[in-house]
Amino acid sequence: MSRIPVLSRRTVLRGMGTLLALPLLDVMRPRVARAAAPAPRRFVTFYTPCGIHMPKWTPEAEGAGWGLTPTLASLAPVKNDVLVLSGLNNLPGKPDGDGHHAAATAAFLSCRKAYKTEGTNIRTGISMDQVLANSVGKATRFPSLELGIDQGKGIGNCDSGYACPYANNIAWAGPATPVPKETKPRAAFDRLFADFDPGATQAELAKRKAYGLSIIDTVRSDAKALEGKLGTTDRRKLDEYFTGVRELELRVNAMDGIGPQCGAVAAPADTVDVREKTKAMLDLIVLAFQCDLTRTCTFMLGNARSERVYSFLGLSGEHHAYSHHQRAQANYDALAKIDKWEVEQFSYLLQRMKGVLEEGGTLLDHSVAYFSSEIADGNMHEHKNLPILLAGRAGGAISPGRHVRYPGVPLANLYASLLTMLGVPTTTFGDDGTGPLTGLDG
Amino acid sequence: MGLAVLLLLGCNDSPPRARVLPGPEAPEEPNTSVDPQDTLCRSESRDPGRVTLHRLNRAEYDNTVRDLLGDTSTPARDFPPDDHGFGFDNNADVLSMSPLLMEKYSHAAQVLVETAWAKGRFSACALNPAQPEPCARKLLRDFARKAWRRPVTEQEVEGLVAFIARAGQQGDGPEVGVKLALRSVLVSPHFLFRVELDAEPTSTAPHPIGDVELASRLSYFLWSSMPDEALLQAAEGGHLHEPSVLEAQVRRMLADPKARALVDNFAGQWLYTRALDFSQPEPRYGFDEPLRQAMRQETQLVFQEFVSGNHRFKDLLDAPFTYVNDRLAAHYGLPLPGTNAMTRVDLQGHPERAGLFGKGALLTVTANPDRTSPVKRGVWVLEQLLCKAPPPPPPDAGGLAPTVDPTLNIKARMAQHRANPTCAGCHTLMDPLGFGMENFDPVGRWRTKEEGGAAVDSSGELPGGKTFTGVVELRGVVKQDPDLSACMTRHLLTYALGRGAEAADRCTVRDISQQAEAQGGRFTDYILAIVRSGAFLQRHGEAEVSKP
Repeated sequence: MSRIPVLSRRTVLRGMGTLLALPLLDVMRPRVARAAAPAPRRFVTFYTPCGIHMPKWTPEAEGAGWGLTPTLASLAPVKNDVLVLSGLNNLPGKPDGDGHHAAATAAFLSCRKAYKTEGTNIRTGISMDQVLANSVGKATRFPSLELGIDQGKGIGNCDSGYACPYANNIAWAGPATPVPKETKPRAAFDRLFADFDPGATQAELAKRKAYGLSIIDTVRSDAKALEGKLGTTDRRKLDEYFTGVRELELRVNAMDGIGPQCGAVAAPADTVDVREKTKAMLDLIVLAFQCDLTRTCTFMLGNARSERVYSFLGLSGEHHAYSHHQRAQANYDALAKIDKWEVEQFSYLLQRMKGVLEEGGTLLDHSVAYFSSEIADGNMHEHKNLPILLAGRAGGAISPGRHVRYPGVPLANLYASLLTMLGVPTTTFGDDGTGPLTGLDG
Repeated sequence: MGLAVLLLLGCNDSPPRARVLPGPEAPEEPNTSVDPQDTLCRSESRDPGRVTLHRLNRAEYDNTVRDLLGDTSTPARDFPPDDHGFGFDNNADVLSMSPLLMEKYSHAAQVLVETAWAKGRFSACALNPAQPEPCARKLLRDFARKAWRRPVTEQEVEGLVAFIARAGQQGDGPEVGVKLALRSVLVSPHFLFRVELDAEPTSTAPHPIGDVELASRLSYFLWSSMPDEALLQAAEGGHLHEPSVLEAQVRRMLADPKARALVDNFAGQWLYTRALDFSQPEPRYGFDEPLRQAMRQETQLVFQEFVSGNHRFKDLLDAPFTYVNDRLAAHYGLPLPGTNAMTRVDLQGHPERAGLFGKGALLTVTANPDRTSPVKRGVWVLEQLLCKAPPPPPPDAGGLAPTVDPTLNIKARMAQHRANPTCAGCHTLMDPLGFGMENFDPVGRWRTKEEGGAAVDSSGELPGGKTFTGVVELRGVVKQDPDLSACMTRHLLTYALGRGAEAADRCTVRDISQQAEAQGGRFTDYILAIVRSGAFLQRHGEAEVSKP
């Protein structure tokens, strides 16, 4: 069997199985055959807000003998692909005073303390997915993909003196630069696939590229001329513009190279139903990985301090209100229902990834899927003993199917280990990292 | 004494949130020395602050391409959502520019130009294939001037015309080159950002901004869009900063339908009514899309009257009119106007519906989906009307447990807030304000009984002993509050500048509010006082300037 990392129609169809929400309309065909290479390693983060009701989450037994708890029950089909990690702390997520949700969400993938501000001088740290994107992202059309469900209500303040970017973003390209997420499946789909024109000739592509680059040259010189006339604060904004232009240039430069490895597929419809929307977004993640459009993806099921009402679970209150449970059984029950639904969505993602056969294993085998929340118990705003699932084998670096309990170790250490196994050798990470996390490989 | 003062005194020792600006009235209580800021306010010099290079937000982008190209397709709908800071999504500091957004801008520019070209928007002159440059130069100069909201240099025009030659090299005609040039105008930083070129970039002393920069400040404040030809001409002629010209332009702009942007973007965020789109009340309240639509329109139409009419801004609290259709009137218990169209009605005989506190949109967004929340309603009054946000509850405090005996009225259930010493300080002020609105259910229907059957008790006692019963007396208390005017000013100034109104702006806020009230206190008076303020007309530079 050849090792061309291009998916055959048969492979993809088999991978998508009957769960497929996006019917394939066209055969995927490589534009240029590439040299044989092992399947790439991918990383996806699944963030869920407001913490988890831990008593129904944490398995009692450690090691391979762990049993599925009520909240984790839906992981049954992928239990041997999942590592449950207990006892990891993200103390940089603690705010100055109040603002636990926003501060911890800013620190969710950065492990850096967020500077308390409503708007000016925003500062946290680069997130680990963006560290990865800066390195392995060069190989793909999109260095990273940021998806989410909620765009936010756009009123009031987000969390006790912490500006909204902290609450609404887990991906940070730099300390002051959040990477916004797509919250519409249709827009995300169009970004991934619509620009690609399989009918274009090489000459047409070359011309488009030349024109694209000439526009880029012009606006870059506009910006350069402007830069010299601006103060330092304004220049920081303009720096973001330069970064955008540079990435646009990379995209344009790649136009006459290898196109997306997948042909046309039908776009998902826009919907406000969180169930359909979540499924569509998770399908897009799998598709983007399958087609090797990106290798790093973050997904936010809600923004920090989410007030979503899970009416389809028979609940009438808001998620954040329930999370301040005050030790009331009715609130515990509501939280457990929400948590269970969240894990079901993650399980769906894992099953989809496991269903995609690639050279040498499944997509899940070659990936790491990471599930967590910014805090543990929502009532106490705990930043320790976070609810963490890791799934997949990272191409063999992880040995899943276990529950591992740590004695209060920085979450940053997990990120250092993940970065290393995903191709970015890292010893320490974030504000409080002390070294790699042991025990992931069994 | 204002409620805010009571809050500061009563709210334990918790410091107010970082964003809270002290009110215009110095605390009158003992143990508080005179704030040195008040002495500062007597001096003439005010720090106008700086506004960071301001990326157009989604509303501004859509309105700008509407006015520039006649394109109403609202392309920004598919851009990633803008973050907001200090309560508004036009805060320059949090409007970041990401690669994803850059990609969207690039794509939108292409579609916008192709569409406008096909519709003949660039047919002012004919591109002669043999001699295209004279026409191209004119088209591109005019377009760039409008899009960049300032005169363009000959060098810039030549840079755009050069696209014709590039197209020629690829074997394409001048039309292709001009379209490329138009696209580049729309992804240039001069279009995507509101650029303020500072004549004295390294001077930290306040100095006036240029008239062209002032034109954009005005148009994005009042229209969330680009300056029109009349405004741009006044600016280019160097007259815009003249008080009479400035006032005439403001009055003209407020009379233009584009001032509707103040309703959608300022009021929608200040009054929280934008959140109505995301409200999910329990099905048992009979809330549905037509009702949502009617509530949204009601608040918009009422506020619109304040933008264009002769009402005092403070009368928003008790304006004796509203807009309803049959559905909303039935919901409110008002006589039906006999139409599904929103109709202006007098509220004589229904004083409970007068003003903001009687509006379904506000009452719904400040309720929980399944019950009223006196705390949310109280916090809204304190934060949005009096600019005194109480600190959030400590961990393990949380909301009201739903398991408490439902036959007790909510006041009795909330007694725990006042029994618990860590909660009492703030809740003795927040809760009574909310109790005053308890006659409105979670979707704003009038009620005399709670869902559990207990009679609604809408009386409240404020710290200091002031008592009231019901929403009519409550809004009287709030309307009399000395902090109301300054708080309205602070929100409007924050929105006008696209930056947080912070401690250094305290004197500016006080001045604006006093001037506006002295002029009659209409919304227009507030707008004019803001536009005439140093914060709006001036800026300061930064000592360090980047290397060219």
